[in-house]
Amino acid sequence: MNELARRVTQCRSGEAAYQDLVDHVPYARFLGIQVEAHGEEMTFVLPKNADNLGNPTLPALHGGAVAGFLEQSAIIYLLLKMGEPRVPKTIDFTVDYLRAGYFRDTFAECRVTRLGRRVANLAIDAWQVRRSEPIAIARSHFLLSEEAEDQLS
Amino acid sequence: MAPSNTAAHTRLELCRRFVATVQHSTNLGIEVLETGEDSVRCRMPWRAELVGNPETGAIHGGAVFAFLDQVGGLANACAIYPDYEITPTIDFRLDHLRPAESGRAVIGDGVCYRLSSQVAFVRVTAFAEGLEEEPVATGLATYMRMKIPRGSDREAPRE
Repeated sequence: MNELARRVTQCRSGEAAYQDLVDHVPYARFLGIQVEAHGEEMTFVLPKNADNLGNPTLPALHGGAVAGFLEQSAIIYLLLKMGEPRVPKTIDFTVDYLRAGYFRDTFAECRVTRLGRRVANLAIDAWQVRRSEPIAIARSHFLLSEEAEDQLS
Repeated sequence: MAPSNTAAHTRLELCRRFVATVQHSTNLGIEVLETGEDSVRCRMPWRAELVGNPETGAIHGGAVFAFLDQVGGLANACAIYPDYEITPTIDFRLDHLRPAESGRAVIGDGVCYRLSSQVAFVRVTAFAEGLEEEPVATGLATYMRMKIPRGSDREAPRE
């Protein structure tokens, strides 16, 4: 079993914190992503950090940092929810930016719209003050299995 | 300070100043290579901390997304030049065609193919340096034009 699969298994069984899995991904550490687990529910957190600023005068978060946060959250979420622990590959990622992301903590939650054998469709919402006022919403397709990859190539 | 006193002399200079003011883009290591009337080419070096899959060393799709979002903003700046506006992203869709090869920088091209009075429409493409024929990602984005009122203390970014 590879390192990733071992970590996913440990997280699922409760032997390891979800954060261990997040910290295994260099880019997740680069952004400073945290994960809070409430039973099987997960909230992802992008803590307020000047490294993620885009507009220095407002100041506002970089839209790309928010997108990266949402994409990474979705991948971790899928790793913990799907059968075989394998890094899902992003097929496409679409973000609608609804409000400026201010210089404060940002939260994200993921929903699986459809988990197929080969492809998963996820919706991810990001908010800062309240869930009903998202700063960005994303939807994405991920490729899940090796066979699927063979068929596409 | 009036923008005219501090305006960049070229699109390339404007884009480089712009990136220098954006903390997250600086952290990603984004360099501006070339500019055109409505287009830009940038480079993001491969770095271990941008890796998404530790088993392959491929750069995270999110990092490529953040890079290309910035490239799109720079394409707008080129199209709007010599004026300067901020252009927050309305929406951005990126298709990931293949993984970005471990160890290779990513090159990003952006074109603002339509600049309406309110909205900028942009196409972006990314490829691993030296592998231009095999793009890693293609995307489409729209940005809102936010004109900076005259007499405002906001101005073109300076280093």
